[in-house]
Amino acid sequence: MIAREVVLDGTAYSADAIQRAAYRFSDRLSLELVVDETVFRCVLNVETDDGQEADLVVSDFRKEVLDQVLRERIRNDTESVRNVILALAFSKTGLTSDEE
Amino acid sequence: MSKFQAAAAYEPTEAAWELLPFRFEHFDEGRVLLTNMVGEHVFVTDDELVSVVDKALPATSPLVRQLRGKHIIRDAVEDLPLELLALKTRTRYRRLPEFTGLHIFVVSLRCEHSCPYCQVSRQSADKTRYDMSAETAQKALEMVFESPSQSIKIEFQGGEPLLNFPLVEEIVARAEELNAVYQRHLTFVIATNLALLDDAVLEFADAHDVYFSTSLDGPADLHNRNRPRSGGNSWELAVAGIRRIREALGIHRVSALMTTTEASLDRAKDIIDCYLEQGLSNIFLRSMSPYGFAVKTKSHAAYDVDRWLEFYREGLDYILELNERGVSVSEQYASIILKKMLTNEDPGFVDLTSPAGIGIGAVVYNYDGDVYASDEGRMLAEMGDTTFRLGNLHADSYRDIMLSDALLRPLEESFTLSAPMCGDCAFESYCGADPVRHQATTGDFLGRKPSSAFCRRNMAIFRLLLERYESDPKARSVFLDWANR
Repeated sequence: MIAREVVLDGTAYSADAIQRAAYRFSDRLSLELVVDETVFRCVLNVETDDGQEADLVVSDFRKEVLDQVLRERIRNDTESVRNVILALAFSKTGLTSDEE
Repeated sequence: MSKFQAAAAYEPTEAAWELLPFRFEHFDEGRVLLTNMVGEHVFVTDDELVSVVDKALPATSPLVRQLRGKHIIRDAVEDLPLELLALKTRTRYRRLPEFTGLHIFVVSLRCEHSCPYCQVSRQSADKTRYDMSAETAQKALEMVFESPSQSIKIEFQGGEPLLNFPLVEEIVARAEELNAVYQRHLTFVIATNLALLDDAVLEFADAHDVYFSTSLDGPADLHNRNRPRSGGNSWELAVAGIRRIREALGIHRVSALMTTTEASLDRAKDIIDCYLEQGLSNIFLRSMSPYGFAVKTKSHAAYDVDRWLEFYREGLDYILELNERGVSVSEQYASIILKKMLTNEDPGFVDLTSPAGIGIGAVVYNYDGDVYASDEGRMLAEMGDTTFRLGNLHADSYRDIMLSDALLRPLEESFTLSAPMCGDCAFESYCGADPVRHQATTGDFLGRKPSSAFCRRNMAIFRLLLERYESDPKARSVFLDWANR
C-alpha cells in the first residue's frame, strides 16, 4: 500500500465530486478526505507497492475528479432542457405524473 | 414627394446582428467547423471565427449572409430565425413521443450455429427449456400494445427463431387479432440465419407480410469462418435463402447485416462485392460489439478502433467509387449520420441517438419473460451484468418496467447535452448516447469521452463524411441522395 496526498482547492472542487471519483476508484485505492480551511486534503491509499503504478493511479484519479466536477456542473446547468426532452419522450405513454 | 425611401434606407446597419447558440471544432489546418443548435454546419477560417465571436464582421459581409442562413447569427430585430430553429428542433425530436416502436421477441436461445462473436450465449439445439412459452409471449404482446407508437415492428430473434417457428406463427396471429382493435401500422421481421428456411416459412411470411433479416458477413470463406455450423455451409444456406425469399416474396423482403471480425478487416471490397453479387444494394459496415461470446472467445480484443476505421474508410471510398461508375449502393451507418447532418430529421437509430434509444426506441422480451432495455442490454446480461434488466413480464406492470430506475437512470445520465465534452461538441447533433456499450466497457453509462472508443470511432466518421462532402462534388451528390431517402 502506498499513500499519496492530493490537495484540491475547495473553491474549484466539491466533496461530492471527490467522493464520487473515489468510489469509482475503490477497486484501486481508498480515500481519507480532510477539509482543511479552503482545501480538501485527499490521502489516497493506493493498493500497490509499485511507486510508478501508484503515480499513474493518482494521475487517473485527478482526471476522474475533474470529470465528476464537470458532470455535476453540466448536469445542473442542463437540467431543464434534459427534463423537457425526456418529458416529451414519455408524453404519450400514460405514465407521466399528471396521468397517474 | 416619393413614397419610396432611398436604397440606403434598406442597407443593413453595422453590427446589427447577434450570435445564436453554436458550437465549433477545429477541423483541419485553416478550417473550423461551426454547427448550429440542430447540427447544420458551415466552415470558416480561424480568423473568421474570431471575427464572428467578436462581432467584428461588417453587416454587408458575404460571411454574415452565410451565417445568417445557417442560424449561427441573426439580425437583432428578427424573430424568424428563432422560430425556424424552434421548428427544426421540434422536427428533430418529433419521433420521441411515439415511444417504443421496435419490440424484440427472443423466442428461443437455441441455435445450430456456433459463431464466436455471437452476442447471445446460445444453447445447443436440443435444450427446449430455452424456448419462450406461449404464456410469456401473450404477456409480451400485451405490453407491446401499451406503447403509444403508431408504428409497431415486432422482430423475432434468438438464438435462431425458426427453431421455435410454431410460437412465431402464434405471436403473429395473436398480434394481428389485437391490432384489429389497436389499429397500428404493424410489421413483422424474422432475424434468422436462413439455414432452416423452408416452404412452410415462406408461405407463412407471404400470408402475413413478414420480412426477413439475415447475416451475411461477406464471401463464403469469410462468412463460414465467422459462422461455423455442422456442415460448414452457413454461407451457402444464407445465399440460397436470400434467393428463395426474393423469388417467392420480392426483392425487398430480405435484408442482410454483416458483422466485422478480425478476419474482415482486410476484406472491405470483397464484402461489398459479395453483397452486390447477391443483389443487396445496402450494406452496414458495423463495428464489433463487446458483448456475449465475443468477449468470452476473446474475438473482440482482436481488433482496435484505428484498424476498424481503416476498414471503414476503404469500404466507404469503394462504395463512392462504385456509385461514380453507376452502381447504386449505399452504406447504412453513413446514411443514418448523413440524415442527421444534412436534414432536420433524426432517423431514431437506437445506438446513435440522444436520449438513448434504450426503452424509448426498442425493448426486448427475453424467452424467460425478462424485459431488457435493448438487445445489447440482454447481451450484457448473458455476461453476468443485469444492469439493463427492466423487470419481468410475469411480475411487473408496464408502469413498473418503463419507469424503473434501470431505464430512467441510464437515460438521464447518458444524455449527451448533459455530458462533459459531448455538450460542447460540434458533432453532438450527429451523435448519440450508448449507455449499454459504455457500461460494458467502462462500468459507467457515460464513460469518459477522451478515452471512449465509441467517441473516437464516431468523431472519425463524422470528419470523414464532412471532408468528403465538402471536397468531392460527386460524393456530395451521393450523400445528399442517401440523406434524403
